[in-house]
Amino acid sequence: MRKKAGIWFYVFLSIFIFVTMFPFLWVFLTSIRPVNEIYSGFDWFTTNPSLQSYINAFETRPLLLYMWNSIAVSTLTTVLAISVASLSAYAVTRLPIKFKGTILGIVLAAAMFPQIAIISPIFNLIQSLGLRNSYLGLVIPYITISLPLAIWILATFFKKIPFELEESAKLDGATPFQTFRKIIFPLAAPGVFTTAILVFIAAWNEYLFALTINSDDNWRTIPVGLSMYQSEFTIPWGDITAATVVVTIPIVIVVLIFQRRIVAGLTSGSVKE
Amino acid sequence: MSGKKKKGFQLNERQLGYLMVAPALILIFAVTLWPVAQSFYNSMFDYRLNDPTRNQTTLSYQIDLERYADNYFYFERDVDSLAAADEEAADTAENIRSTIDDYHQQIVDSDSIGDQFAEVDQMVMEFDPVTDDDLRYGSINNDFSESYIDALEDVSEMLTSLSDQTEDEQVQEAVNSLDGTVDQIDRSMIRPNFIGLSNYATYLTEARTWQSLWNTVFFTVVSVFFELTIGLAVALVINRAFIGRGAVRAAVLIPWAIPTAVSAMMWSYLYDGQFGIIAHYFEQLGLISDASVLLSTGSGAMFSIILADVWKTMPYMALLLLAGLQTISGSLYEAAEVDGAGRFQQFLYITLPMLKSAILVALLFRTLDAFRVFDLIYVLTGGGPANATESISVYAYQVLFAQQNFGEGSVLSVITFVSVAIISVIFIKLIGSDLFDDKKA
Repeated sequence: MRKKAGIWFYVFLSIFIFVTMFPFLWVFLTSIRPVNEIYSGFDWFTTNPSLQSYINAFETRPLLLYMWNSIAVSTLTTVLAISVASLSAYAVTRLPIKFKGTILGIVLAAAMFPQIAIISPIFNLIQSLGLRNSYLGLVIPYITISLPLAIWILATFFKKIPFELEESAKLDGATPFQTFRKIIFPLAAPGVFTTAILVFIAAWNEYLFALTINSDDNWRTIPVGLSMYQSEFTIPWGDITAATVVVTIPIVIVVLIFQRRIVAGLTSGSVKE
Repeated sequence: MSGKKKKGFQLNERQLGYLMVAPALILIFAVTLWPVAQSFYNSMFDYRLNDPTRNQTTLSYQIDLERYADNYFYFERDVDSLAAADEEAADTAENIRSTIDDYHQQIVDSDSIGDQFAEVDQMVMEFDPVTDDDLRYGSINNDFSESYIDALEDVSEMLTSLSDQTEDEQVQEAVNSLDGTVDQIDRSMIRPNFIGLSNYATYLTEARTWQSLWNTVFFTVVSVFFELTIGLAVALVINRAFIGRGAVRAAVLIPWAIPTAVSAMMWSYLYDGQFGIIAHYFEQLGLISDASVLLSTGSGAMFSIILADVWKTMPYMALLLLAGLQTISGSLYEAAEVDGAGRFQQFLYITLPMLKSAILVALLFRTLDAFRVFDLIYVLTGGGPANATESISVYAYQVLFAQQNFGEGSVLSVITFVSVAIISVIFIKLIGSDLFDDKKA
């Protein structure tokens, strides 16, 4: 059923977009204010915009380093998690193995585990491996946390590929692994890419593990680093808003470019077609 | 058959299948299932990272060899000075010396830790600190340790009675010094820190645990309720053709995509009692008595957290429900219209039943997510004011990492895990098998 969109609809839409975007808008407006104006009133627009807050944000804390750490950790996580997950998703959807229900059940159960219930043994494990304050120390738990999501979404995508392709590959003498690598995986590329974006965002946003495992400032990721701008006595809102704008821009770009894919990935697991 | 895969060697499809799921299952086992079991195990110990005698879980006695060697050295000196102080005390001193030496010799001669002790003793004599924990702590036989500890306690009693009997200050001083050393030797024997379920007894009767559980449940129920109802309303409204779909999609995705910790920082600015615009407008509108109410009172802070969470996840909910709505065939509504069903009846008898599984799945994942809320609260309020917004995850984090108490913190971890398991079971019963049918096929 397609209803027509009337004038009230667009009014509603504008209000909705304004409300969801307001925090970003206000944070951006604050970030370009001269520092003394931030603490002196609630005017929306400043008459003399300044970049001082941005300079401060980069000077007081290693913001670029945080971003680099986040990029390294999230990229590594994405590549490894997708490799492992696509193998499992392929086996579960297209190979004649037993216990598929049990395997998917375990995967789904793992997605429900609260992170606080596993953090202390993981902390001990990472500590004993000597991996605290390193990329690998975060990547190992992140891969596992993102596996259920990745397997689940990839399985939906793999299932959509027609089975006839595999059969003709088999007739041509391809081994099952060749079929996976040369036929199914390339065909599922859009789905794989979608899953990769979701895994990347999940790893980028993770907080609890990053806070406990990489406690050295040189190894902090963006979410943890940003939350450390508050000092004990003063809250430098100028620096914080500027840093927020800086770290939000990459996400906005990713979302704008890939929005269709993200929506496809988010809704693929929950809606039956 | 060898498990190694080499060129030319072909696995059949089923073997390949098992090989392909193995890495994921091993990782899931090692990084989620095993740690949960470990948390449960740890919760039955008095296990503190910041206390060198309790920084691991152990069921057997251990000995802190550095402390032991150090104090045994003083013991010899102290017992000599006691023997020299008074003739009457000399007998007792000899008695004590022979008792302790007997046990000490057994440690020195021991196959398991004799060499280790010699090495540590050498380092102590040279005033080298023993930094290697494997060298410093040795495990000793439980029966031997218990009898040694008994002997040390007997010695301590003998010394106390000797000190009571004598008036001589020099003797008393020697006795006190020796008693202190004996006490130190006693402390170098590390008792097993298994304490069964007594951590649970402490935490399940503590008001703060129940307060944090209640906060978590309240937060989960209220925020998920608003996310669902507002999300459904938004999905219904935007389920039509219109210009600007891309803008709406982006507006919906950006709050979802930014890190929760970053959005919590943004909201803490907007709510700030002095400079926060939302707090300021709420005060002007008369919604709150004073701009500082939002973060400095318990109910204000809880409201703030819920609002921030609804803002961040309602759009995501709307997106999931919109996808569900779009799968409902338009002909159903047309048929209903022909039969004279009104808008509301259509919603009640077509939309809701058709959306049921999408709603339940979205609810399950949102509820579990909300129940383990950590970063939003940790960054926005830190659990304050006065623990009024402390969720069970935040409380567990405080005990685990701020207090470094892995034993007691694990109790809270296990409580969280059990609560989540109960919620999942209830939802899966509600959703029934239809969700998973096609996955298993």
